[in-house]
Amino acid sequence: MSYAYLFKYIIIGDTGVGKSCLLLQFTDKRFQPVHDLTIGVEFGARMITIDSKQIKLQIWDTAGQEAFRSITRSYYRGAAGALLVYDITRRETFNHLTTWLDDARQHSNSNMVIMLIGNKSDLESRREVKKEEGEAFAREHGLVFMETSAKTAANVEEAFINTAKEIYEKIQEGVFDINNEANGIKIGPQHSPTNPSLPGAGGAGGSQGSGCC
Amino acid sequence: MDYFRSGLKSVLGPPPGNQPTGAETVERLVSRVSTSTLLEDRRDACRALRALSKKFRLEVGAQGMDVLRQVLELDRSDCEIVGYCLDTLCNITAKQTFEEEIDNAVNNVQLNVGEDFTETFVGEQFTEMFLKNPENVNLVLSFMEEYDFRVRWPAVKLMTSLILSKPKVVQDIILVSPMGVSKLMDLLLENREVIRNDALLLLINLTKSNANIQKIVAFENAFDRLFDVINDEGGTDGGIVVEDCFLLLLNLLRNNTSNIHFFKEGSYIQKLAPMFTLPPNLEEIGWSPQKVSNFHCMLLLVRTLVSPNNPAQVVAACQKAMRNTNLLEALTDILMAAGVPANILTETINTVGEVIRGNLTNQEYFSNVQAPSNPPRPVIVVLLMSMVNEKQPLTLRCAVLYCFQCYLFKNEIGQQTVVHTLLPSNEAVASVTTGQLLCSGLFGNDALSNWFSAVALSHCLVDNPAQKEQLLRVLVATKAGAQPFGLLQQCAVFLQRTARLQSKLGVLMLLAQWMAHSQQAVKVFLGVSGAMAFLTAQASASEYDDNEELLQGLCAFLMGLCVAFNDNSEPNYSKENLSQLIEKRVGIETYCRKLSEVSHHEVYALAAKQPQPRAKHSGDLLLEYEFCQLFKSMEGVIYQALGRQRDLFSGISELSLSEHENALLVQYKELIREQDKQIQELAANMGACKMRCKELEAQLDDLQETNKQLVDQNTLLRAQLAANSSNIAIQDRHLDLSSPPNDSENSDLLEKIRKLESDNATKAADLDRIRKDQDDLLELLTDQDVKLNSFKDRLKELGENVDDGESDNNSVESENS
Ligand SMILES: Nc1nc2c(ncn2[C@@H]2O[C@H](COP(=O)(O)OP(=O)(O)O)[C@@H](O)[C@H]2O)c(=O)[nH]1
Ligand SMILES: [Mg+2]
Repeated sequence: MSYAYLFKYIIIGDTGVGKSCLLLQFTDKRFQPVHDLTIGVEFGARMITIDSKQIKLQIWDTAGQEAFRSITRSYYRGAAGALLVYDITRRETFNHLTTWLDDARQHSNSNMVIMLIGNKSDLESRREVKKEEGEAFAREHGLVFMETSAKTAANVEEAFINTAKEIYEKIQEGVFDINNEANGIKIGPQHSPTNPSLPGAGGAGGSQGSGCC
Repeated sequence: MDYFRSGLKSVLGPPPGNQPTGAETVERLVSRVSTSTLLEDRRDACRALRALSKKFRLEVGAQGMDVLRQVLELDRSDCEIVGYCLDTLCNITAKQTFEEEIDNAVNNVQLNVGEDFTETFVGEQFTEMFLKNPENVNLVLSFMEEYDFRVRWPAVKLMTSLILSKPKVVQDIILVSPMGVSKLMDLLLENREVIRNDALLLLINLTKSNANIQKIVAFENAFDRLFDVINDEGGTDGGIVVEDCFLLLLNLLRNNTSNIHFFKEGSYIQKLAPMFTLPPNLEEIGWSPQKVSNFHCMLLLVRTLVSPNNPAQVVAACQKAMRNTNLLEALTDILMAAGVPANILTETINTVGEVIRGNLTNQEYFSNVQAPSNPPRPVIVVLLMSMVNEKQPLTLRCAVLYCFQCYLFKNEIGQQTVVHTLLPSNEAVASVTTGQLLCSGLFGNDALSNWFSAVALSHCLVDNPAQKEQLLRVLVATKAGAQPFGLLQQCAVFLQRTARLQSKLGVLMLLAQWMAHSQQAVKVFLGVSGAMAFLTAQASASEYDDNEELLQGLCAFLMGLCVAFNDNSEPNYSKENLSQLIEKRVGIETYCRKLSEVSHHEVYALAAKQPQPRAKHSGDLLLEYEFCQLFKSMEGVIYQALGRQRDLFSGISELSLSEHENALLVQYKELIREQDKQIQELAANMGACKMRCKELEAQLDDLQETNKQLVDQNTLLRAQLAANSSNIAIQDRHLDLSSPPNDSENSDLLEKIRKLESDNATKAADLDRIRKDQDDLLELLTDQDVKLNSFKDRLKELGENVDDGESDNNSVESENS
């Protein structure tokens, strides 16, 4: 399938906050309750539509490497967007945000869009971090913020799509250099103007004989 | 050589009196690099060091490493001197031995009297010294950002040399080095081809068996880069660089699910597919050796994506993409193209197999492909003709079997289609069919064809009760005009008649697949005269040679299936009668042993490892993957069936035991208890022995490590000693010629030498002692091993299942080219 743009994302945050689940929910629309490190999705892709343009998202999950920040660092430079995730039921994952953010800012290109995500919003009874705290942190550091649940899928689509919208807007504004692939953005392969799938266009079994589908 | 000398002369001036030794020269150059205040001077000295770094590698490395490192830091703005240093470091850390070095070692016997030190070890040694400080790797990485050819190229070469010597260490450093992988990946955009090509080699070595690095390299757009290079270099018609690109792709994808997923999602299969289309004039121009290599890599690449070892979901997605991008079509075209080299054809058959395996759409596509023969025949038929043709090479025949198995894997329709061709029908069949080929192969004169056909046919029956039943309807005419005979009966007769082990095993596997879960098939088998007697005789045989234990085990297995899937309709061979037969004629113990001999056999282990049948020699083909699966799942079922029968049987009999028998029973129970105790003791004993063995091994490792360190120290000390003595020689000469003797310095040096010499002597003594210790320990270890084995044997005699802990390092992979 052809696309207008391709964005590369990474998902970062402490281990156990639900990064892999968020990715799985977004790409496969399912929730895997058991924490299985061996399955480690690690990579997922999906097509979305913004402004009636097809946009392909390629998402890397830093599965099992959270403890090795230095490995995660290798992914910053080439990413257009990052989802920085904490767990609203575990305060320490919120406390670690600054380190994650410093790292990301230091190693990424300056235009990388960072979305702050407070995950596991379905576990209201065990909440340790107030929504307002997340909002305040995001405001302070200039991030977009959202609470999600990988379990109920609440806000999961929005989190990924809103990030893409931000990137898309930056492209429109000309902030992103889209010709530099190191920014995590690719322009789609040339959209052939002679789209054969247009109904009624050209006689079926015409002399072109391009049987491609 | 003369060139070097004259170069040296100009740097050093004429030698005072005698020719200086290599060590002396190196010593002077090193001191010059470190003390001279003129860049010009340091540069000349570095150039000279580079010239000497092959022949006098030990000296340059031992004396110059630190200085060279310093230059890299302090003179980093001067591209010329940095280039010399990197080159020099590259030479001294190289894994290979240089010719010059050997010459030198021969001429320079006094340095290594009675010692056979290997030069390759020196390279590794210097690499280790260089890597002690991880910053050095970052330093080299930083030089890759320098555009100047004199710096970037040797930096790439040095890094490659380091990785080749100590892959794990360098990988770990680069992984945590900020933007480390990125810097290396940028090299693929280099427009100076030498650098780009060497960068490819660097990345191939860097990505070997390190999933994290593979992932990052892929993230850094490696797939795009590599396809760009491949296309720039002329695609499959390109040179060795194209092959290197494919090798790197293989490294990135092999066993890396995440990257495979990315490869598929990034539509790279689409880029791969057109490369498989053969140009129409290929038959005239022929296949160059490089094209064969490139193609082979491409086929491996496809197989890496759809390997049965990958998660099913990923495989299915890739298979679908391969069908949609017409990659499968291109592959089947190759099957029928003329002039394709044999090894490419074979590998294509394997590849087609894995692309269709377990994927109904692709299997159906494959079954509809027609070969352009006259008359046109399904490609499956043409392939099977090769499989049952003795004249075809073994690897090709194996490939066809594999492809056929893949075609039938989870394909009920395919299974039915094959069986259908054998059923009696009214329509006259004009052309040869798959079923006919297999049947004639099954009972023909070639043992391997028997085996191939039996296995192929057995795959029509896997998990397919309907076809087990249908196949029972098949009749074969043994001789023209003779009474037609059921296929199963014919198999049972053939089993008794043929003398060839391979044929027997093949037929036994077919029967087992057929009879498992099929009471009807069992019933037919039991009706064949002599069949059960044959099985019983085999299963109870106490002697065997070669691989006959497999035959006996499989016969026992078939007997077990006859018990487990018995509808009691043959009064002579009811469940109960059969289990008594096993108990009385074979003996339960013997029976169990026969079964376990199969699953513990190395042939079994090898076959159970992967679906693809692999063999170096035709005689190696004895067991097969699907059968091993069946065996694994049925073993328990059989034990259970036998156990239940036995319980019933003994339940009745225990009531009617005579006093004498009862006493006997008590006696036996006692015996068993006794043996149980013994077994436990022995097991405990063995545990202790294993522990002790481990301890000893650890000690041995330690000692070997110490030993190695001492040898290293020794080597370095020698080099230093040599350097020092040359130093003294020079000083002596100075003293002879000039000014009042400087006694204190001289005696200082002498003192130093004496100290080094005595150090050396102590070290040598230490080394001797440790060697002796090591020998003693080795002896001890052997003793322990012998003991351990005898305990294991005793345990085995006592019927305990002893895990021999043999690692299976018998993989016969012939991957890569
Ligand atoms: N209730 C709830 N549990 C979640 C949610 N997201 C993840 N989990 C659970 O949290 C654990 C860790 O999730 P995982 O995705 O493996 O975390 P990762 O280490 O960040 O990749 C798992 O047991 C998930 O089932 C969520 O939104 N709600
Ligand atoms: Mg995870």
